Amino acid sequence: MASAGILSVAFSSISAAQSNITKSPTTADWTAMSRLPDFSGVWERGGGGGGGAGAAPRGNAPAAGARGNAGAAPAAGAGAGAQGRGLVGAGGGARGGGMSLTPEYEAKRRAYQANPPQDTAAANCLPPGMPGIMTQPYPMEFLLTPGKVTIVIEAYTQVRHIYTDGRKLPEDPDPRFFGTSVGHWEGDTLVVDSVGFAPETQLAAGVPHSDKMKILERFRLTDPDTMSIETTITDPEALTAPYTTTSSLRRHRNWTISEYICEQNNRNGVDDKGKSIINPNFTNDSSTKKD
Amino acid sequence: MKTNLTRTILAMLVAAILITAVAGPAAAHHSFSAFNTTEEKTIVGTVKKVEWTNPHIWIYIDVPNEKGGADIYSFEGMSPNYLERRDWTRTTLKVGDKITVTFNPMRDGGKGGMFRNGKLDSGKILTMSGGQ
Repeated sequence: MASAGILSVAFSSISAAQSNITKSPTTADWTAMSRLPDFSGVWERGGGGGGGAGAAPRGNAPAAGARGNAGAAPAAGAGAGAQGRGLVGAGGGARGGGMSLTPEYEAKRRAYQANPPQDTAAANCLPPGMPGIMTQPYPMEFLLTPGKVTIVIEAYTQVRHIYTDGRKLPEDPDPRFFGTSVGHWEGDTLVVDSVGFAPETQLAAGVPHSDKMKILERFRLTDPDTMSIETTITDPEALTAPYTTTSSLRRHRNWTISEYICEQNNRNGVDDKGKSIINPNFTNDSSTKKD
Repeated sequence: MKTNLTRTILAMLVAAILITAVAGPAAAHHSFSAFNTTEEKTIVGTVKKVEWTNPHIWIYIDVPNEKGGADIYSFEGMSPNYLERRDWTRTTLKVGDKITVTFNPMRDGGKGGMFRNGKLDSGKILTMSGGQ
């Protein structure tokens, strides 16, 4: 009897956790989709793109780089941002420029900078999660369906699920790399609220966040092939004030999302002391194995 | 004045090189501490194998040694995803192609490093930010 009681408790918590029902879209739901702005296709930070058929496939032509507002993005590194190239070195963290950290988190940042690891867990193929995943030098695709926006992110083969069906954010979310996201439309702007982030994700390189971090993103088109993303991070334990940055994506109509299986042939890595390791040998293949 | 101008030009060149160095690693998932990015070496060899794989491509070159044989050098490049959008394909480099590779050497002295650019016999120059 006791075990039946435990089972019953377990089952009821499962049903509570899964209480958001995805309903079948109606014709009216699909019709309503046609009134939303066109986010379709493949987008990447930096310049290039646009124009539809015949557009140059090069995404990083330096001359066009200035269009991308990469330098202002959450994870922009100084040099990389200037070329409109997306930033992010290893780990996907920002450098913390412009963030106003609380004394406790400033101390964490300084401790990290005083003795930085040679590399981060990203070298072992751990994806950066939010917010760093949105600033990778790889494209992403937006899929709009009734009740949901899905962002297919090429880097590390990741997917963000943003529910726009009116559900509420959970009060006590499980920590996740992308948090848990809900969205709604304010006119032509997609507004996304996310909470509950895994401790592996970072505000900036070497700067962790607290479990109170929240991220607000506002996605909108500023011209037919440019999307602006305004990102506001709040974290009352880590930040003395909300941190807002704006970045932009360019649409590449002649691109498709590719796969990025980081574990396929990763020779780089980092050990538990932060030391960078690399194995240039293809050890499964005797023809290229060295002594 | 002339000296100042020369200095200014030199400083700009150095700055340009630094920016390039920063921009290169920006597209990788790891740091570049395994490579000495302040040093560039050049070596001539023959393409032995290309691994067109994520998260980075690897290019193996046979380089003739004094013993009459060949040493294998291995070079890390960008990702196939990145390169395919910048004029490379998985058959851009073929086994047997003669190539002059400029690279940042391994810090541990291993044979190989990070591929910066390659020049083929045809005169075609391959870089990590564009195939031509």
